[in-house]
Amino acid sequence: MRMGNALLMGVAALAYGVLFAPIVVIVVFGFNAPLGRFNLIWQGFTLENWLHPLRDAALSQAFATSLGLALSASAIATVLGGLMALALTRHRLRARSWIEMLLVLPLTSPEVVLATSLLNLFVQTNLPRGFGTLLIAHSLFCLSYAALTLKARLVEMDGSLEEAAMDLGARPLQAFRLVTLPLIAPGLLAAFLLSFSLSLDDYIISLFTAGETVTLPLYIAGAFQREISPQIHVLATMVLMASVALLGLSVRSGRSA
Amino acid sequence: MNVSRRSPRAEARPPLHRQAWLPWLLLTPGLIWLLLWFVLPLAQLLPVSLSENADRFRMTLVFRGRIANYAEVMTQYAPVLARSLAYAAASTALAALIAYPLAWVIRFRGGRWKGLLLALVVLPFFTSSMVRAIAWTTLLGDDGPLLSTLRALGLPPGTRLLNTAVAVVGGLTYNALPFMVLPITLSLERIPTELLDAARDLQAGPWIVFRRVVLPLSAPGLAAGIVLSLIPAAGDVVNAQFLGGPNNRMIGNVVQSLILVQRQLPRGAALALVLMALMTATVLVHVRRHGSSDLTLS
Amino acid sequence: MPRQAQPVPAPLSREEPLPSLGRRRFLRQAVLAGGAAALGPALLAACRSGGGDRKRRLVISNWPLYIDPTKDGVPGTVDRFRKQTGIEVSYSEDQNDSVAFFAKIQPVLAAGRPIVQDLFVTPYWLAERLIRLGWADPLPLDGVANASRLIPSLRKPSWDPSGRFTLPWQSGITGIAYNIEATGRPLTSVDDLFDPRLKGKVGFLTEMRDTMGMLMLADGKDITRPSYAAAEPSFARLEQAKKDGQIRAFTGNDYQDDLLAGNFAACVAWSGDVAQLALEQPKLRFLVPPTGTTLWADVMVMPKGAPHRQEAAEWLKFVYDPATAARIAAAVKYISPVAGVQEVLARTPATAALARNPLMFPDREMEARLRVFGPLASGEEARFDERFASITEG
Repeated sequence: MRMGNALLMGVAALAYGVLFAPIVVIVVFGFNAPLGRFNLIWQGFTLENWLHPLRDAALSQAFATSLGLALSASAIATVLGGLMALALTRHRLRARSWIEMLLVLPLTSPEVVLATSLLNLFVQTNLPRGFGTLLIAHSLFCLSYAALTLKARLVEMDGSLEEAAMDLGARPLQAFRLVTLPLIAPGLLAAFLLSFSLSLDDYIISLFTAGETVTLPLYIAGAFQREISPQIHVLATMVLMASVALLGLSVRSGRSA
Repeated sequence: MNVSRRSPRAEARPPLHRQAWLPWLLLTPGLIWLLLWFVLPLAQLLPVSLSENADRFRMTLVFRGRIANYAEVMTQYAPVLARSLAYAAASTALAALIAYPLAWVIRFRGGRWKGLLLALVVLPFFTSSMVRAIAWTTLLGDDGPLLSTLRALGLPPGTRLLNTAVAVVGGLTYNALPFMVLPITLSLERIPTELLDAARDLQAGPWIVFRRVVLPLSAPGLAAGIVLSLIPAAGDVVNAQFLGGPNNRMIGNVVQSLILVQRQLPRGAALALVLMALMTATVLVHVRRHGSSDLTLS
Repeated sequence: MPRQAQPVPAPLSREEPLPSLGRRRFLRQAVLAGGAAALGPALLAACRSGGGDRKRRLVISNWPLYIDPTKDGVPGTVDRFRKQTGIEVSYSEDQNDSVAFFAKIQPVLAAGRPIVQDLFVTPYWLAERLIRLGWADPLPLDGVANASRLIPSLRKPSWDPSGRFTLPWQSGITGIAYNIEATGRPLTSVDDLFDPRLKGKVGFLTEMRDTMGMLMLADGKDITRPSYAAAEPSFARLEQAKKDGQIRAFTGNDYQDDLLAGNFAACVAWSGDVAQLALEQPKLRFLVPPTGTTLWADVMVMPKGAPHRQEAAEWLKFVYDPATAARIAAAVKYISPVAGVQEVLARTPATAALARNPLMFPDREMEARLRVFGPLASGEEARFDERFASITEG
């Protein structure tokens, strides 16, 4: 038993070690002063990259594009997904299991298949590829995550509160605004953040649907071919720090709700 | 469709929120989105996969009902497909072996740190996967920190990690970890501690408790973790591209090459549909046995 | 409104006040910002189609580190051009993979719309394809008197027999780069790439013509009129080496990472890159195989419908001036297409050594080793692509 325990703890510790190994490299290499244009070998410590995180103009622009894309795609996904989640949890539907399957399938389809099918659709319909097609693709794969995350939250939530509000004379929309919405706000935030991080990180689907628009992962994949600036590591670290902050925020708000 | 159907309670008092058309109103925008950008494009792949290139650079096609596309890609790329499934299976098994003890520790030893420990599993995935791939190339390189250390400890020189199958499977395993840890932890969470106490009171040893009580009760979580790891791994592109060598390419790389490099859209579509069929079958089998709720971590 | 290089949505400004916002307000702000971002591109697209622009502009896309940059207060070619002509140049170094670039522009050009760039630099074989597809506009050669000062081998090349659609930016030599410490000996031939002692430490290029050209020449084949039948033995050799684990990876420009990180001992590489890299890694050597190798050119192409023809002509005239061309050559260390550059470099003591470098100014002996990979008929090209991909992706 004692040995089993030690073994368990050992595996857990090792797992955390492996999980954070590349993260340590990313954070550390943000402080590297590479000799040439590839920030892959440790050369020496500098704060220069952190003082000028936006020096790499094309990288900053790709980052801005990705942020805008992630915000808009998550907004669409959260709204559409939220409505679907409401319908699936607050109403009896005969087609429910079919609709749920339809929501699960994009999640379990290989990305390269989604990418292929969307590219083909855009080719066949002559839809010019760019920010618009990226938005379509990203909002699609975020929609399933958002709807299912929110559905899980709504199932946990007691529907009788709304009924009580209406018994007290609230009109349905009023009950929704005053009772349901505040209660699911943490769920909405969670769905939004999940969508946001998925969109920000997507590579394959973007590669197929981006046209001439350059998102952050596309830029970094290209940078691998020409110049890996330390600013890439700095921006990645910043995104990580922002995520930690938002994660803390959503954990706290989840608790207070 | 369901508009005319009324539930008996709605007869008595039909407020807005019980109107039968309301759920469909809420569902419509999302359903349109899914039909337009998921079902329709997938359905469209089918005729494309039976077509022939008219001009590969203009991406124009002629439909010829060419089933041979499937035969061709299956004969040419069967080894790659088999390799992809093998890598996916290996990484999923590895991830399960690592994730189960980890989930166990989080559930039964986590105490008040449970939430934090779980968050720490997810946290690394908030960095860009592309930057992580670059970091792995730094870590695993021939003169990188890992091999240098191991060589100092007596590893024979000439051992490589980067651009090998080990690196690809390792990368896939890494990506699978949160998808394995989360559902397993959730399913362990549902096992009441009293049940374990009762089993121990009946003189069951730890191994028996695990095998007869915990494992069966956490099986749905484990099964969900397996599906959630297997599918992204089988269709992965990035790990083989950055961490693999020319003998470790996966089916995702082939689809990408067929479409973006060789510009053979019909054959690319055929291969994509084969992959999709395999993965959908896996999901359906899972859903029939365990339902879909574990897949969505709810 | 003028054509924008990239539609950049503007929700970034929302980032700043985030900490002071309440949770709910943040959510609302984020949704609003998202909505604005969703509308942004549509508005931009609407603006794009209307009106002509009065400002003189030029959008150029080139490969990275392929021009002299502004450094230590000395203005580079782009800045000097801006100052001299007043033309607002957008110069992006966003080319890194010609196949991916073609995949990007193909749908736009096929639909008959102009792409963002007025001029881009692309490999000779891709230029040939674009000309064949009718997606290139003739260059405004009337305004470029000095375009006739090309080095002889680049006049009316096989990829552009009329000479109307392309002008060379730089050419270069495909060779073998190696770290002499890792190989333990100087390499002397293509066969050395197949030396079992280098197993798993060898890289080849994903650029099919460069990899196959060198191998076919080593097999004694003529690559100026390539055929699939002639290439098959070289394909088989490459495939066997891959199966044996001799080849570690097929790469694009990222072979440079692997050379520096010690993952490659030797690899197929491009002349100027290695000259630039040698500044970081003095153990690097470059071999031009005695059996011959490919001489390639990256050329400037004007995509169909590019609006700034006059400005493009001024740019071409500017970079074909021997003094400017010499600055570019000194920075990138490839073969300048402009006659007279060697003399300019020889006049300045700091660059005199470059003027004697046979990789930049091939002498007779070097020239004898260099061949241009000839055009492939469309069906042949598909077979080459497919076979090559079956090796790199199989």
